[in-house]
Amino acid sequence: MAIQKEPLPPPGWGLEGSAASLLEAFPRGQLSEIVGPRSAGGSSLVTSLLAHATAAGALVALVDGSDSFDPAGAAAAGAALRSLLWVRAGRRPDAACRAAELLARSGGFAWVVLDLSTDPTEPSERRLSSLGAATWIRLQRAVRDTPTRLVLHASRHLAGSAAALVLNVTRGSARWMGAPRPTRLEGIGSRVEVAKTRASSPFLPAVSTDARWTLAWRL
Amino acid sequence: MAALRRIGCLLVPHFAAAAAVRAEPALAGRPLAVLDGARPGRLVIETSAEARALGVLPGMTEAAAQSRPGEVICRERVPAHEAAARQALLEVGVVHSPRVEEAGPGEVYLDVAGLGALFGDEPALARRMAARARVAGLHARVGIAGSRVAARLAARRAEECVCVPPGTDAAHLRAAPIALLDLSLEMAQRFARWGIRTLGELADLPGRDLAERLGTEGSRLQALARGEDLRPLDPWRPPPRFEETHELDWALDNLEPLFGLFAECAERLCARLEAQALAADRFEWSCRLAARVGETPRTVEGAFVPPVPTHEARAVMAVLRATLAAEPPTAPVTALALRAQSVRVSASQEPLDGDGRPSPRTLAETVARVIALVGPGNLGVPVLLDSHRPDSLRLEPLNAAALLSQAKSTDGEEARGTLALRRCRPPRPAQVRLIGGRPVYLRAAGLAGPIVASAGPWRSSGEWWLENRWASDEWDVELADGTLGRLAHDGSVWVLEGIYD
Repeated sequence: MAIQKEPLPPPGWGLEGSAASLLEAFPRGQLSEIVGPRSAGGSSLVTSLLAHATAAGALVALVDGSDSFDPAGAAAAGAALRSLLWVRAGRRPDAACRAAELLARSGGFAWVVLDLSTDPTEPSERRLSSLGAATWIRLQRAVRDTPTRLVLHASRHLAGSAAALVLNVTRGSARWMGAPRPTRLEGIGSRVEVAKTRASSPFLPAVSTDARWTLAWRL
Repeated sequence: MAALRRIGCLLVPHFAAAAAVRAEPALAGRPLAVLDGARPGRLVIETSAEARALGVLPGMTEAAAQSRPGEVICRERVPAHEAAARQALLEVGVVHSPRVEEAGPGEVYLDVAGLGALFGDEPALARRMAARARVAGLHARVGIAGSRVAARLAARRAEECVCVPPGTDAAHLRAAPIALLDLSLEMAQRFARWGIRTLGELADLPGRDLAERLGTEGSRLQALARGEDLRPLDPWRPPPRFEETHELDWALDNLEPLFGLFAECAERLCARLEAQALAADRFEWSCRLAARVGETPRTVEGAFVPPVPTHEARAVMAVLRATLAAEPPTAPVTALALRAQSVRVSASQEPLDGDGRPSPRTLAETVARVIALVGPGNLGVPVLLDSHRPDSLRLEPLNAAALLSQAKSTDGEEARGTLALRRCRPPRPAQVRLIGGRPVYLRAAGLAGPIVASAGPWRSSGEWWLENRWASDEWDVELADGTLGRLAHDGSVWVLEGIYD
């Protein structure tokens, strides 16, 4: 019986053709939010942002509220780890928010990402609920008048009115290679929509709420 | 009328040997050879007068020195002893004059003009300085003249003290050898070719012709030979000691008040540093602990190095708080001290085309505050280890200047749309039901449900030559609710390594 060899897909850029518009959607000096459930591609989007920024020579900081960041995966995505400051906040959302505030206020990082995406059964998820509106307003004010893009990644909306941009990431279908039985996970698809946007300057129009992106993340 | 210039010279001959005798007084008056270098080829670098009388000279090997008749004592050179002796000699000078210059090991010049009202005439002053040096453990010769050269010559010739009357420096120097000027090799060879052997012969040369042949250096040497020394003393100042202490009336057994007292010390210390345009590249702290009656009080100490030299009290306290909170003193504290090792840091100006990135100092201060929040060891630059073991990495401590300089390079790889894995640290135990060797149901903390698609196993293994060898079969799985995860099985236990997101 002939064995069929499955051709591996060529490595591809998830934000094909639309990378610039999506990255530029995040306003400087403002708090933005990426919201998405498990396996929707939110973390892949965050990793791509970090990779794109570090590849361009920028200094970025990642405040890891759930200690789940995978540096090997980020390196595979093209991130320059030497330009990445990783803060492991030990599943303490309050400490993570305070650390992000300090880093954003310093104004020296092109991107500060606060990753508070957790599993619903994690104890830290319950502690997230205890973070009030004042926490997000403090973050908003910390990054104001700085060139930093402060991005909050979570499984649900947290920042409320403090976020100038909210992107919803919805899960597309997983793509498996091989038939009749899957032999390899190729990747997943994601759909990114603008749930909320607010112009940071009258001279810089905000991204339209009609904007949406279809992304593909390959393993 | 110009003020009369009077220079005193404190000279300790055979300084390395004198420093060794100062550290070990029992060696006084005995033939001593100071050795330096690696065994077995150690050489004599200095000898005492008694050793020279036995024929032991600098440059000899250790074996040659010990083969001389008489009992020659050999001691290895100890830089710390020499540094202490230099400090002691300088302090002898500082006690007598506000302007003291160190010309080299065992040679100190001081401005003695106008000190008659304090210490009497010059011979009395010279005897006083020699006596003071003896108290400090050094046998110093003292010469006083109108110039450094003349004072040094006077000190060399003196048994203890020689004062050259004012205005007689040139006559005093005439017969002195020209080597007294510490000539360069080229200049010494030139004078030798010309037959100039004494300072008087050099002083008698026509000045204009000498300047034409040797330039300004020749004119300078001739001036010195005539006893003319116009260069002001380069004053030495004792190194500042930055230390703040606090003695407590009662023992303190609570961390917060202790932090408060340390913060006060840090504020005062950093204010002193800033006032002298200095920063500190190392801080040391100590706490004296309360002891029971009859016991000797113990002291706990520690030190830390800030990412960049700093004089910011906040940055200092951020690290000190984290350090003491992690390992608090084991007994109540009765006294505390904070010391700083100062360095001079030149101010750097931000370039006009700056891209807004912080200065290393600002970044270091921010990072210090974040460390105080998350703890040391939880912040840094991730570095992947050369291993196939999953999640092999380490966090490198932050080097602020290096991080900022490396981030400027734009030789990074092109970004790729890679599916990210959110790792479970540690991997979560999982219960997996298999049918036909393939996982069909998963139950792990926070996840439960049928597996609708899976791929694997992908065998990974490594470090088979070590005791902690590892091997695992990895599976990519999709649950019915759309969750994608990675499972691993090491032959006995299933774990959830992470969730694809």
